Amino acid sequence: MESCARGLDASGTDTLVLLTSEHWANFFLDHMGAFCVGRAESYTGPIEPWLKIDKREIKGDPALAAEIVETAYDRGIEPSFAHELQFDHGTMVPLSLIMPRMDRPVVPVLFNTLAKPQPSARRCLELGRLIGEIAQNSPRRIGLIATGGLSHDPGERNHGIIDSDFDHRFLAAMADADAETLAGFSRADFAAAGAGAFELLSWVALTGALGGRKGEVVAYEAVQPWATGVGLMAFPAAA
Amino acid sequence: MSVYALQKLLRDVNRIPERREAYFRSPADFAAGYELTERERAALLGFDVRALYDMGVHGLILRPFTILHKMSDPEYVRALRGDQ
Repeated sequence: MESCARGLDASGTDTLVLLTSEHWANFFLDHMGAFCVGRAESYTGPIEPWLKIDKREIKGDPALAAEIVETAYDRGIEPSFAHELQFDHGTMVPLSLIMPRMDRPVVPVLFNTLAKPQPSARRCLELGRLIGEIAQNSPRRIGLIATGGLSHDPGERNHGIIDSDFDHRFLAAMADADAETLAGFSRADFAAAGAGAFELLSWVALTGALGGRKGEVVAYEAVQPWATGVGLMAFPAAA
Repeated sequence: MSVYALQKLLRDVNRIPERREAYFRSPADFAAGYELTERERAALLGFDVRALYDMGVHGLILRPFTILHKMSDPEYVRALRGDQ
């Protein structure tokens, strides 16, 4: 995580798009969209009082958020959007380690990884591609963080079981920027690796955004006390 | 209604301190405020974790609810797998 934080600082990134998951923090079954783009001036998190991270305010980037929403609509993908969102552990843990000073604005993009049907991997790839194009064409330096996963089944029947084979296959496809393999992961494939594995849809979107750029697996460990396969990848900054 | 109302009840208990207090004060009175089926009501009031799960309550709603009932991880997993 420290190496990723150093990489972020060295990259000259102005603003960050956070591809992250919903955990019943902001949405419930009264209204569940596939994707939600945060357009707020600022966000607070974490919501969990037990998390050992101080509650913070993180600046938003409404202009970039609007560009993502409008471009998506023009391209035939209609994410929902919200002017108020809270960040939970899924966002705050990586963010507090990779950007501890919270000194850049962020645009959260929340994925429905909870309620069936989750968006398809191919759709996430398409959403990622248009975010990547916006980043490429922006006069500002836009960074991307995808969080969630890997295999875990929290609160479900296979809680505690980690599917390292799945995790390694997924990480290898990510490292190779193998968009077709990633788009081919079905809901059944993710479900077999645990309910929490759907959070990897945000990683698939990242591959779309990076447009074929290959990455490296910084770390992987099946962390039994956390009942989760934990992986970290880094992708080089564009020239 | 459907498992929707049951999940709404459980999420309210998990997330809203006043609702949580009301539930623990009188689960039956609290449940009367939601359109539950008889099966759902019985599973809730009997704290039948396996039945709640099999009805389709999401794990990330059910597990926090069972933590409020001081159920450990091993006890929870045993309940879901029908080993208890």
